[in-house]
Amino acid sequence: MLNAKQKGEDMMDLNKEDQRRLFYRLLLCRNFDEKMRTLFRQARYAGTFFSCVGQEATTVVPTFLARKEDVVGPQHREIGACFGKGMPTKYIAAQIYARKTSPDKGKSHPCHFGYPELNIITPASTVAAQTVIGTGCALAFKIRKEPRVVLAFTGEGGTSQGSWHEACNFAGVHKLPIVFVCQNNLWAESVHYKFTSAIIDYSDRAKAYGFPGISIDGNDVVAVYEESKKAIERARKGEGPTLIEMKTYRWYGHSEVDPANYRMKEEVEEWKKKDPLPRFEAFLRKNGVLDDKIKAEIEKEVEEEIEAAIKFAEESPLPAPEEALTDVYAGNQTMIYERPKAEKVKPEPIRT
Amino acid sequence: MAVTTFIQAIVDGTAEEMRRDESIFLFGEDVGVHGGVWGETRGLFHEFGSDRVIDTPISENLIAGLGVGSAMMGMRPIAMIQFADFISLAMDQITQHMAKMRYRSGGGWSCPVLIRTNSGGGVQAGLYHSQENTAWFCHTPGLKVVYPSTAYDAKGLLKAALRQEDPVILFEHKALYRSVKDDIPENDYIVPIGPAAIRREGEDVTLVVWGNMVRSALEASEMMEKEGVSVEVIDFRTLVPIDKETLINSLKKTGRVVIAHEENRTGGFGGELAAILAEEAFDYLDAPIHRVCAPDVPPIPFSIPMEKFHMPNAEKIAKVIRKTVEY
Ligand SMILES: Cc1ncc(C[n+]2csc(CCOP(=O)(O)OP(=O)(O)O)c2C)c(N)n1
Ligand SMILES: [Mg+2]
Repeated sequence: MLNAKQKGEDMMDLNKEDQRRLFYRLLLCRNFDEKMRTLFRQARYAGTFFSCVGQEATTVVPTFLARKEDVVGPQHREIGACFGKGMPTKYIAAQIYARKTSPDKGKSHPCHFGYPELNIITPASTVAAQTVIGTGCALAFKIRKEPRVVLAFTGEGGTSQGSWHEACNFAGVHKLPIVFVCQNNLWAESVHYKFTSAIIDYSDRAKAYGFPGISIDGNDVVAVYEESKKAIERARKGEGPTLIEMKTYRWYGHSEVDPANYRMKEEVEEWKKKDPLPRFEAFLRKNGVLDDKIKAEIEKEVEEEIEAAIKFAEESPLPAPEEALTDVYAGNQTMIYERPKAEKVKPEPIRT
Repeated sequence: MAVTTFIQAIVDGTAEEMRRDESIFLFGEDVGVHGGVWGETRGLFHEFGSDRVIDTPISENLIAGLGVGSAMMGMRPIAMIQFADFISLAMDQITQHMAKMRYRSGGGWSCPVLIRTNSGGGVQAGLYHSQENTAWFCHTPGLKVVYPSTAYDAKGLLKAALRQEDPVILFEHKALYRSVKDDIPENDYIVPIGPAAIRREGEDVTLVVWGNMVRSALEASEMMEKEGVSVEVIDFRTLVPIDKETLINSLKKTGRVVIAHEENRTGGFGGELAAILAEEAFDYLDAPIHRVCAPDVPPIPFSIPMEKFHMPNAEKIAKVIRKTVEY
């Protein structure tokens, strides 16, 4: 059923250390995600959680390739983008726990991870909105002639938004430095994509916007690496956007309150066999980058990082109730005008 | 000093700001070579070029979103929405992203976008080119809403908006563009966002208005003066943040308040101002607060008799003032 290109020889430009670093980030994303699912069941935090288990490669890998000054525009299932870009795990945990120490100070959502320090745009629930905002960022870079690139993520469901079309269309016209990553995990909540799209490969849509589109196996780390790299370089050189459809699958429900009983067990089992992590591990072992000893070290480090992050989150204070009133306007102004003491009110008759 | 039309004052203000600050740029439908369907960007393309004055596709949500993204990256975007009627297409980017960006990031991001939009009726522009939907935005924390009635204020408020850190929506009433002129000083000035302007001092009734209603209000107060009623006219040129103090101080003086706006009554911003006065200055009221608004029908019917019927004007305001005074 996959129409994706099978690749997987390359990655020659990454040294062994960086390849291990990428493996570390992927494993961190996987294990942290699984841990958060468990903690949700234990009611250690409120709200919900959007698991990305099974589709880590589609977010971790492109963002791993981005520079610090490059912008990442995630949707709701893009926790992996934070790990790829290197956002400190403790802040990700603090956000899920809605603590004062979270970058959003507990104001937004457990899975709307943003981090201005690394140019990760704080997302919203509105799917595809970040593609429009990302296009605005890319326009700023083009005007200022800065060699910065935007990675804007959606699910396949998000591409049905008019805003996605508006963004792609404009980005195409102006050859903006942006990469549109569409993670096709087959499902948008409970609706299979065959009910919302008349095409099989979402990359076909790029043609309408005048830039290249490609569909790849999103569970093949090496293929994702290569195509993301090409697209990012293309954007940085001023050659314009690329749409990359990455075919992948989420193992669990839409969120932690969704038992996902709209889909067949066989489908899930089938996709678990295409798990991106063991596939990448095999690749690294074959190339002599990874062995049992190194893997054990990485696993230990990942475990420690996760434990430290959870400890940080759980020990962080909750925001005070009145903090709900802050950050509406600059300088904590409100919707009521506060007259500076020195300002005198005097009549201002119409002058003409 | 130079006598300048409302629209020219806005264009001049934009150009002066663009010369002052390189990060200011402007985009929207027909704003480039053509200079806007009203001439609201005339000459800017020729002076600043296609990098800073950009014709966009007919994509309102994109226009607002380009503002959001570029502002977050340190630009000072002016997002042009050709008609306030079509701003409904941009509501997601404006209300969910622009207005909430600071809040949802715990103060991490700023989003200082200036939205300019053409609004208001009375020029036989029909159901889809006449609206002045300020209430939608006044109900949106994170946004500032300004609605000038004079050329001087239009320029000054625009400049103020480009020198602060929050998103601002500037309503430009199409009937004011060429019919209103001011002596505009040569030197740089701003009109701060916030303070209302007392256009006429009075003793008996406070009349609160904004945009094109200011002219009707002044006309109505002339009429009332002949009848021995002294009206204080407050030009609420900034709707949000709300200048509560000026409102309450005026009520303390007159004891009576009439609020007039072009928008329909239910859910209009006049109701909010009336509520503030009722909650915070009830003891000073000598009569019920009255509103003069459009009826609760879709704005604004096209055929002239219906359009006239729909819109508040000086006579309608005067009638309500009489009722208030006679209470
Ligand atoms: C504009 C909008 N409409 C509806 C929703 C509710 N919603 C949240 S996620 C989702 C499905 C998204 O599917 P997709 O884009 O494929 O992302 P995935 O969840 O599969 O990662 C829906 C309908 C929303 N967040 N935004
Ligand atoms: Mg999906």
